[in-house]
Amino acid sequence: MKFHWFAEASYPKLPADFRAKKISSWVDTPKSLHDPHVVGEMCRMFIRLMQQADRDGFDGLAVNEHHQTPFAVTPSPNLLAAALAHTTQRAAILIIGDSLALYNPPTRVAEEMAWLDCLSGGRVIAGFVFGTPMDSVFAYGIPPAELRDRFEEARQLILKSWAEQEPFAFNGKYTKLRYVNLWPKPIQPKFPIWVPGSGSVETWDLCIENDYCYGHLSFSGLHAAKPLVDAWWEYCDMRGADTNPHRMAFTQLICCANTDAEAERLYSDGVKYFYRNRYTNPAYEAPPGYRSSKSVQAIMGHRKIAESKLSAEDRARAASGEMSFWEYDKHGFIIAGTPERVRQRLREMCTDLRIGQLIACLHQGDLPEEVAVENTRLVGQEVIPGLRDLWAEHEDRWTPAATHLPLAKAAE
Amino acid sequence: MQFQTFGAATVRLWRFGQGRPLLYLHGFEGHPGDAPYLRRLAETRLVIAPEHPGFGESDGLAAMHDITDQALHFRRVIRSLGVRRIDVVGHCLGGMFAAELAAISPHLVRRLVLVNSYGLWDDVNPLPDAFSLPPPAFAAAKWAKPEAAPAAPDDPMTRQRNLGSATKFLWPIPDRGLTRRLPFIEAPTLVLHGAEDGLIPPAYGQRLASLIPNAAFQAIEGAAHMPMIEAPEAFDHALGSFLGAEPEFRGR
Repeated sequence: MKFHWFAEASYPKLPADFRAKKISSWVDTPKSLHDPHVVGEMCRMFIRLMQQADRDGFDGLAVNEHHQTPFAVTPSPNLLAAALAHTTQRAAILIIGDSLALYNPPTRVAEEMAWLDCLSGGRVIAGFVFGTPMDSVFAYGIPPAELRDRFEEARQLILKSWAEQEPFAFNGKYTKLRYVNLWPKPIQPKFPIWVPGSGSVETWDLCIENDYCYGHLSFSGLHAAKPLVDAWWEYCDMRGADTNPHRMAFTQLICCANTDAEAERLYSDGVKYFYRNRYTNPAYEAPPGYRSSKSVQAIMGHRKIAESKLSAEDRARAASGEMSFWEYDKHGFIIAGTPERVRQRLREMCTDLRIGQLIACLHQGDLPEEVAVENTRLVGQEVIPGLRDLWAEHEDRWTPAATHLPLAKAAE
Repeated sequence: MQFQTFGAATVRLWRFGQGRPLLYLHGFEGHPGDAPYLRRLAETRLVIAPEHPGFGESDGLAAMHDITDQALHFRRVIRSLGVRRIDVVGHCLGGMFAAELAAISPHLVRRLVLVNSYGLWDDVNPLPDAFSLPPPAFAAAKWAKPEAAPAAPDDPMTRQRNLGSATKFLWPIPDRGLTRRLPFIEAPTLVLHGAEDGLIPPAYGQRLASLIPNAAFQAIEGAAHMPMIEAPEAFDHALGSFLGAEPEFRGR
């Protein structure tokens, strides 16, 4: 069982009435609502927290790509990854991921990931993402009709540029290059590759056919995710694919404290800020053509099943920050409480969902840094060690070999 | 309706009436099927109305790498009819296609009618984002009288597929270079535009007409994006008098 530290780098000082005014938190959020100095402080805080996570025993530090949103001010995950690659020793640099269709030419992704692999001593996990519709379609203007095609062409080019030893020409539909010849080449002979998705069958096929780790990166918790994750594993079975738990990643908000009451006191505001301020204009979330008809139908089916445990009304209350702290916990949006309780609930969830890579979100919304510091310490030192036995019998091929070394050895 | 294969695309094709052939190219929301306005056109003409690749039950969008492939697809359609030249009427996205076809293959187009057509972009007067307008705002932009609008003919899944395919040519900006090619159009051209269109303001129609060498612009009052439905008499009259006229027509 592997544990990766993650946080959406949410802008922490949105006005209190941001949600009430139904301002979209993505694409066209007024720039007047943020102060770049605050962004600078926030970025330095996330770097400090991830440096601590590296020392506290986390297996990976996850960085992601989003555009034009206060929800996650990380337009280039590779920049944050560079800061971490240079200042951490052991943890994997989990880039989850670069939006392949948005880089022109896509060899940019191949170069930067290779460079980061050199800088980090072979610790990079290469994540390939389609990007949310808000990012790829609205902020970066890719026609939905071309998104998957562009992603696939970019993926082929990137893989070939890592593998090929001689310069080659690439005559694609979207990218044409006479000379592809990567400097530097990555340290790892073969990157572990992760692809997150939200239930599209085409993405499952991609992961199965290429032995990638599939990531279900939602923040809606166990009840909403269960039907989708179950369907993924059934699909793997049906296709005769490897059902090693380490090929599945899952995000989970965690709020750990010395007592349950203290957890509520420390985290309640941050959790509600996180959920409340994620409102996005619905039109930006589902542009025509982003998902195939086949996937739309499948996802609607999963949602129906999920509604037996989490009604549409509860889902809406959760999304507007109106649930009580312990309701969020009950439905799995968060896992909160003492290290003992968190450990026990994580064990149940990861066993139930067959998760081998947990992406633990240890900072939420406008949480104060000192609370996230304590969260990271408690989870790293008191929760993770008690869960190391889980899935230990399964080989983990989806994290870099360099990160499998014991901490003392890596620091040498 | 029948399926017919043109190169890599197998598309649905509606055929009505008889007489001098007319090619009708539909808009970005989808093929109108057996629509009254096509039936009316077919009273005096042979109307050929193919569905675009990637729309409805028609495939082949993957073979359309760019707008040139799309225009050449229609050239195949015309060739299959065994006619030397044909009148072309295009609406909305179909108007953009029709203009491209007439610019790339001027010898094939006898007369051209562009109805509330995409294809241009004006920084000073930007188009609304038709793909993200909430349904009520979309209806208000599309119809002069939204309350009297007919129900959408397609099921939601088909509509999503159609609009998704349309993004190939309309997203993020519906400009694929048509401005540079409009001067190559030789066919006498009528640019019709519902005066109240909120999806494509009439100024876009006027600009189209000004860039095509032999074109006239005509606004249709009391109609928005769908003048053939909201102002059928004015629409039929404009089309009839233009397409029935002799080729010496000079718009300007």
